[in-house]
Amino acid sequence: MTARTLAQPFPIVTLDTDAMDAAQTMTRLRWPGLIVSGDDGRPYTILPGSEVLRFLIPTYVQDDPGLARALDERASDELFRKLVRSTVRDLLPQPPDYDDLPVVDADATSLEVAAVMARMRSPLVAVVDGDKVVGAITVNRLLAHLLPAAPAS
Amino acid sequence: MTSVLVVAAFAAAYVLIATERIHRVAAALAGAAAMVLLGVVDARVAFFSEKTGVDWNVIFLLLGMMVIVSVLKQTGVFDYLAIWAAKRTRGRPFATMVMLVVITAVASALLDNVTTVLLIAPVTLLICDRLGLAPVPFLIAEALASNIGGTATLIGDPPNIIIASRAGLTFNDFATNLAPIVIILLVVFIGLCRVLFRSAFTYDPERVAALMALDEREVIKDRGLLLRSGIVLVAVMIGFVAHSALHIEPSMVALLGAGALVALSKLDPPEFLEEVEWPTLVFFMGLFVMVGALVEVGVIGRLGTLLTDAVGDHYLLAASALLWGSAALSGIVDNIPYVATMTPLVQTLVDAGNGVGHATALWWALALGADLGGNATAVGASANVVVIGIAARNGHPISFWQFTKYGSIVAVVTIAVSWLYLWLRYYALG
Repeated sequence: MTARTLAQPFPIVTLDTDAMDAAQTMTRLRWPGLIVSGDDGRPYTILPGSEVLRFLIPTYVQDDPGLARALDERASDELFRKLVRSTVRDLLPQPPDYDDLPVVDADATSLEVAAVMARMRSPLVAVVDGDKVVGAITVNRLLAHLLPAAPAS
Repeated sequence: MTSVLVVAAFAAAYVLIATERIHRVAAALAGAAAMVLLGVVDARVAFFSEKTGVDWNVIFLLLGMMVIVSVLKQTGVFDYLAIWAAKRTRGRPFATMVMLVVITAVASALLDNVTTVLLIAPVTLLICDRLGLAPVPFLIAEALASNIGGTATLIGDPPNIIIASRAGLTFNDFATNLAPIVIILLVVFIGLCRVLFRSAFTYDPERVAALMALDEREVIKDRGLLLRSGIVLVAVMIGFVAHSALHIEPSMVALLGAGALVALSKLDPPEFLEEVEWPTLVFFMGLFVMVGALVEVGVIGRLGTLLTDAVGDHYLLAASALLWGSAALSGIVDNIPYVATMTPLVQTLVDAGNGVGHATALWWALALGADLGGNATAVGASANVVVIGIAARNGHPISFWQFTKYGSIVAVVTIAVSWLYLWLRYYALG
């Protein structure tokens, strides 16, 4: 099966999309991440859910996760308010790695898609046909296709 | 001819270490390899010579303390102490800084400086975040405090461990000769903090509630482990204090303590070896072989004779030069290779003085200069570099000159006070 067949429609976010809207889109659609398109409409990068958390959780808490236990719900609310007035651009690591995008051609095989996902540790790849984005493939959809069917109980 | 080649190889390796053109471990190992290839050092000298080989007491003392730190880190005790202390001050910025400085200095006297700042910096950022304070002054103060506190004891700073092992000085020798001046220096340093960082102490009563809402009890991850670790740490400290009476080396005390903690904590090897800095241990080994080669070919002996003739009875002058010279050099280059090179030379001077107080004070001049001099610049001590790295990753960059502006003042003042102490205690009144 080719990437074109596996690809699903996906919501477009841009670098200037409101960060809160992007995070809510991700949770509403239950996608592990979003494809971020550049000004030319081509995929710019992938925004995985973990990057949203990396933006929200202070580095010092990431370094010493035990500190999170000292924070109460109010502090947690304060942390998540960081999304207000932020854009997708703020959520992305700086500087972005332009050469390392999880993108596959529409005629790539499912194993090629799996190889790109594994190499880039991305839960999502964008599928392109020339300059046109035809959809995205999530790790769940790919695994569902690759795994052998469970025997009927 | 061999002596000239050994000196050239030593100098080349030292320049590589100082300039960091290649990794310091590679430079030290290359230097050690050169000594082996020149035929000055063989396996017997490198591994079994107490005077010119690898000083296993230093290596295993460091290893033991690193394992102890690995286990202590799992308890969350530093986070608890810092939050508890900040809450006691009710968020008053200067009082909070004093508490954090004292915790850092005391912890650095008992543990490695780098580990101490690694443990205290994240919780400092949290406290400053809650209080809406700029964290940079607090982080700089902690790096400086760790270098001051580490000077107090045999185990506080690697140069002290080298000096103790090479000079045969005990934990109590350090405690009685260096700890008193370090307490004075800490008081002076806190006074300096009040002046140097005065613009950082803006008090916002509305932010205090955010600090007081932190629950320090929650950061203790394993109360049982904390209790067991505390008991073992106290036993290790008693072991250090009593090591000369018990005729047991500090390295054995540290290893026994580490073994006890590993057994009691039931942690897996990756966890209790997490804080072991293997590159640092290998760096020390290479360094000992390099310096040992200088001793083997008689270079250190000849230099020692020259120095002894030059110093004569002027021990105060020698101590002053050693203190200020060590401080100046340690602000620029790594103080570990410097102290490793200087210890055989200082030993010659102390031996020439028949071990009387005037002469043994040279050891304290070397330790004070090398340890406190690290505060002078942003790259003078590993703790400074680590704090600057943590600050940058958390979006609070500290420039070389920003750190050095504060560090150089603190270094000059603390060295001046130390000189006064040396003069009064060992020469004017001694």
